[in-house]
Amino acid sequence: MIDLKRLSRRGLLNMGAIGAASLVMPKGLLRPAYAAEPLAPIAEEDAVIGFGHVGPITDEGWTWSHHQGLLAVQEAYPKLKKIHEVENVPYSADATRTYRQFVSEGANMIFDTSSTGDFLHEVVRRAPDVAFMECDGHAIMDNLGWYYLAHWYPTYIVGVAAGHLSKTGKLGYVASFPVPSVFCSTNSFLMGARSVNPDATLQTIVINSWFDPQAATQAGTALIDNGCDFLFGIMDEAGYLQVAEKRGVWAAMWNTDIRRYGPNAYVSSIIIDFKDFYVDQVGKRLAGTWVPGEHILPLAGGVDRDVWGQNVPKEVGDAADAVRQKMLDGWSPFVGEIKDASGATRVEAGKQMTELDLYTWDWSIEGVSGLSG
Amino acid sequence: MDLLTSLLATAFLAGGVLAFAALGEVLAERVGVVNLGVEGLMAMGAVTGVAAVTAVPSPAFGFLASLAVGAALGIAFASATVFLRANQVLCGLALTLIGTGLSATVGRGYSGMPSPAVFERVEIPLLSKIPVLGPALFSQNILVYLIYIVLPVALHYLMFRTRHGLNLRAVGENPAAADSAGIPVGLIRFAYVVAGSALSAGAGAYLTLAFVPSWSDGVVAGRGWIAVALVIFAGYRPIPVVLSALFFGFVTALGFVGQARGWPVGAAVLSMMPYLGTIALIIVPVLAWQKVRRLMAAPASLGEPYHRDLR
Repeated sequence: MIDLKRLSRRGLLNMGAIGAASLVMPKGLLRPAYAAEPLAPIAEEDAVIGFGHVGPITDEGWTWSHHQGLLAVQEAYPKLKKIHEVENVPYSADATRTYRQFVSEGANMIFDTSSTGDFLHEVVRRAPDVAFMECDGHAIMDNLGWYYLAHWYPTYIVGVAAGHLSKTGKLGYVASFPVPSVFCSTNSFLMGARSVNPDATLQTIVINSWFDPQAATQAGTALIDNGCDFLFGIMDEAGYLQVAEKRGVWAAMWNTDIRRYGPNAYVSSIIIDFKDFYVDQVGKRLAGTWVPGEHILPLAGGVDRDVWGQNVPKEVGDAADAVRQKMLDGWSPFVGEIKDASGATRVEAGKQMTELDLYTWDWSIEGVSGLSG
Repeated sequence: MDLLTSLLATAFLAGGVLAFAALGEVLAERVGVVNLGVEGLMAMGAVTGVAAVTAVPSPAFGFLASLAVGAALGIAFASATVFLRANQVLCGLALTLIGTGLSATVGRGYSGMPSPAVFERVEIPLLSKIPVLGPALFSQNILVYLIYIVLPVALHYLMFRTRHGLNLRAVGENPAAADSAGIPVGLIRFAYVVAGSALSAGAGAYLTLAFVPSWSDGVVAGRGWIAVALVIFAGYRPIPVVLSALFFGFVTALGFVGQARGWPVGAAVLSMMPYLGTIALIIVPVLAWQKVRRLMAAPASLGEPYHRDLR
């Protein structure tokens, strides 16, 4: 019953074994938005919004990006009565306490920027007139929706660049946990690279953390020692970028533009941006038109590749951008036949993976090694 | 670089944190004071290092600032445990709690930011040309030389080859006898606990100024406790402490290399290896041979406050 591979992206932070059972995701969860009555409209002067973050807003990564969203909400609705923001919400019963506190302070809408699963849902059930949005969530209720990013598209684009830039064809990946975000990220990255260099392979190292500069540094070093000349990963810090800079190989990052920590090695980043989404959601809540829904923010609408690094040749950037343009025109690279690491066909020829398939991807494609799927 | 060289280079770098912190703990425990505050001292040292080089971009300055902060905390700890004779275990735990909490608060503004100045690699002429060991040990940053060569040799000489070393060990073994012989027990304990605290904080600065190199809350990640354990395993002796830290670093590095090379062993097993290795290499011989056990014994008065008037 407990399926560890389905655990959400950030839910694993501070997670104890007990929490594991709570995030089990039901199969086939795609449903249309609930047909529940929208919550009543509310005047801007009376509205209270709450944000709960997993990390500190100074992290220059995930939480920082959500904080930018909060600032955008503040700017769009300057008359809001209050915006509450709590950092470092742990994945434990303390999260329940935090969100209950938001409710008791009169919050009308609450964003959980890194799925706390059942610890949040307990509060959701008891506050039916408060709108909840859970980032990287999986459940939907009368007053709870979720949102995430289609990071697989920019990742594929960066993969294309990696295919051009890597001379050895050996790519390295610093992974956090074997969860869907990571499977999807490694797979789409290698698929992008293989569209250029069919012999490319991807070696991953799992370091069991989203934020451990020391482990990421060592993992990056080990990958380079093993012949990798392009590092990618899903980390909230610049650890392996600094290694790449020192060792003279390429690196691509996540979350924000942190090229200043390795200007020569920097290729691009999976840039995330929740500003418009938050402003839109808060606007709907105020107007009384908010309904719980499932939102995967699309390429160029919340997630994108970053401006190419200073050393990336123009033709490489252009080649990758051409793929990006094709995607914006509706093309998807995630079409069968796709084989898993054991060589078995997992996606039939001609069949296209849906956004939800991609969101819940939990096996490695051929050529990815090191992630036990 | 071939496999062995790169493994060893990473091992020296990774083991250095533990070796540094553990050397500090050896100083304190040899004079009879258990300092369980290593984890907190390392956290404070780590954040001080980054904060200091942010203000003045010189790694040496950051390192010295960390030593100073460690010494200041050590003075508080030593005053309580040596002069006021408070319970050493409780004071140590308090120091860890204060250190981790305070460092998180102080470090908020520096979180995730790479250190503006770090210790660069310094190649030692001639020695760095030795195959395998040269590139692994003799082309590292200056702190690595300090940890693996200067400090263990100096401390070993001090403890086991000088009269002063005899005195300081006597203070840890039998403070009453030392006191009768005219050795200033309180002063020696105080001085070495403070010096040890400074070294432990220096281990934190090594993390943020040479190894990682950036600060984040939880960057020490329990290594302070491993350092305390290493001291016990290595029989309270400087050179074995450094060697066992190196071994620990080696096995950790092996875990990463194993994953990078795609060895058919689970990632979880590879991350477990340092701990399994510690058990195998260090505990088993102690259990097996009586003589080793006597050699590795703790100072007889370890953990006991000395009351001259209560004898």
